[in-house]
Amino acid sequence: MDENLKTSIRGEILQVKDLPTLPHVLNKVTTLVEDPDASSEAIAKVISTDQVLSAKVLKMVNSPIYGFPGRISSIQHALVLLGFNVVRGIIISTSVFDMMVQAMKGLWEHSLGCATACNIIARRAGFEDPEEYAVAGLLHDLGKVVTAVQLPDLHASILDTVQAKEITYFQAEKDVLGFGHDRINAWLARHWGLPPNIREAMSRHHAPQLAEFYKPMSCVVHLGDFLVRLFEFGNSGDDQTAYLRPEALIELKFKMSDLDKVMDEMSDQLLEVSDLTL
Amino acid sequence: MSQTLEKSLFQRKQTGFLLTPDTALAEMLQKLWSSEVLEFTVFDQGGKAIEHLFNEPPDLLVVDNRLSDISGREIANLVKSENVYRQLPVVVCVDPIDVEEPWNWNVIEVDDFLVRPFNPSEVRDRINLTLCRAMRALDANPLSKLPGNTSIIQRIQRLIDNGEEFALAYCDLDYFKSYNDKYGFARGDEILMMSARLIVNTIRSYQGVQSFVGHVGGDDFVFILPPDKVEGACKRIIAAFDDIVPHFYDPEDRQRGNITSVDREGNTKVFPLMAISLAVVVNTDGRIQHYGEVSSIAMDLKKKAKEDPKSSYVIDQRKA
Repeated sequence: MDENLKTSIRGEILQVKDLPTLPHVLNKVTTLVEDPDASSEAIAKVISTDQVLSAKVLKMVNSPIYGFPGRISSIQHALVLLGFNVVRGIIISTSVFDMMVQAMKGLWEHSLGCATACNIIARRAGFEDPEEYAVAGLLHDLGKVVTAVQLPDLHASILDTVQAKEITYFQAEKDVLGFGHDRINAWLARHWGLPPNIREAMSRHHAPQLAEFYKPMSCVVHLGDFLVRLFEFGNSGDDQTAYLRPEALIELKFKMSDLDKVMDEMSDQLLEVSDLTL
Repeated sequence: MSQTLEKSLFQRKQTGFLLTPDTALAEMLQKLWSSEVLEFTVFDQGGKAIEHLFNEPPDLLVVDNRLSDISGREIANLVKSENVYRQLPVVVCVDPIDVEEPWNWNVIEVDDFLVRPFNPSEVRDRINLTLCRAMRALDANPLSKLPGNTSIIQRIQRLIDNGEEFALAYCDLDYFKSYNDKYGFARGDEILMMSARLIVNTIRSYQGVQSFVGHVGGDDFVFILPPDKVEGACKRIIAAFDDIVPHFYDPEDRQRGNITSVDREGNTKVFPLMAISLAVVVNTDGRIQHYGEVSSIAMDLKKKAKEDPKSSYVIDQRKA
């Protein structure tokens, strides 16, 4: 697997480096990990609110060192198998970039909202392990974080292009970089050895009809992304209307009444989620 | 120098063979440990030592490159090429000129080397370290790296001797063999690694208590906790295992909740998903005198725990 992705316009390079995390989550997890009575469910819940930390934990537990690569896709299972010592180590080693908090604030809320939506959608569709769908939703825009942190100039050009041409962030990425965050996602997920279902959902959430092996998960994330944008919860880089692929609804066997129910649940739960982002 | 065995790093007296024509070296090594802790037998020629070496292998072999009849490398390779003696730690003693050119350590399979002039305290600690490392490597399970039977037995006997109350749980996996047969040993190993991590982390989360996790071999593990913590730990291990193990099956098998595999007689059979069985022996009031009792009680309980095809635990309720 290539360590780098080369952008087409200025030939700049994205590298796999440690990604930063967000301080308030860090504090909460640290407190819980130090509390002997805290359950792994409680810690998993807090870690799940942070896309970078979640990705790191999943990356670690799926690394060849532990001997079951690509098998674990839930944060809670990862905690049970890694143990608090390793999780504490991941948290300590995770550096905090204040700049990044500013740059990605809206995106973080968007990702958290999408995770919430994916959980609701997966349960409505009758899928097992809705938390795994939530993880995929949480990580679906991770590629954007990588660009913002590693190539801040190009990230600024992408945002300018969104404004000037009135196009989506995804389209602007293709104009400026030559590829979108879906490709960065695929590259990151493979590099980190994430399970194939999460990997495919991350790289196919804009085109779930092209998903090869895990179409339902890709469709859930596609719909979750669409709905959280509809709610205007957070910001994923543009204020364009997203295109909802009809194939996704067909795959999930959703009728309009299912969408209504999902949206009702979302409006309740997004209120709770917004408390976490303060 | 006159340290007792009890205060030393070793569980039992160690024996060493020293092959050297250098009487000063022999004298130094013999003075560094009391003969109760580590006793050296000295041979001034390599050839003389070989028969003894094969008949009564020591715990440590120190070979001087100054031997005249046979080279230190040859002796080291002779020992390391036999699987029976492969684990025997070998240290070579060299002169600075011997190591001016780099040695190929893939060909000369020794465990450490010492360079003249010798610094006695460094020699003492290098050899102590070599012996400790060999003991750890020998006992650890090669897959999970958890302590193996020697450490498990020592730990149980020590708790018994100190009159401490403890609970010992034997864990084994139901239908592991059929999983292994269907998916292959590499995926079977994944299950063992997962189980080892799960048990270790659950046990370690009980802080500030005496605890221990060992790997007996295959799909058998043991853990030790204080009696009042053990039932909670069993419940947590079972819950986590039952939650995680389905993810190690192919989606179709997982959905169906069973696998089709072939048994020893060649018959196609349907097996449920793997479960974990725990048999717990509780030692209170010093009723157990010997580790052998622990394992025989546990084996009886295991049968009981295994009667239930789902994950389950059985705690020995017998009182002294």
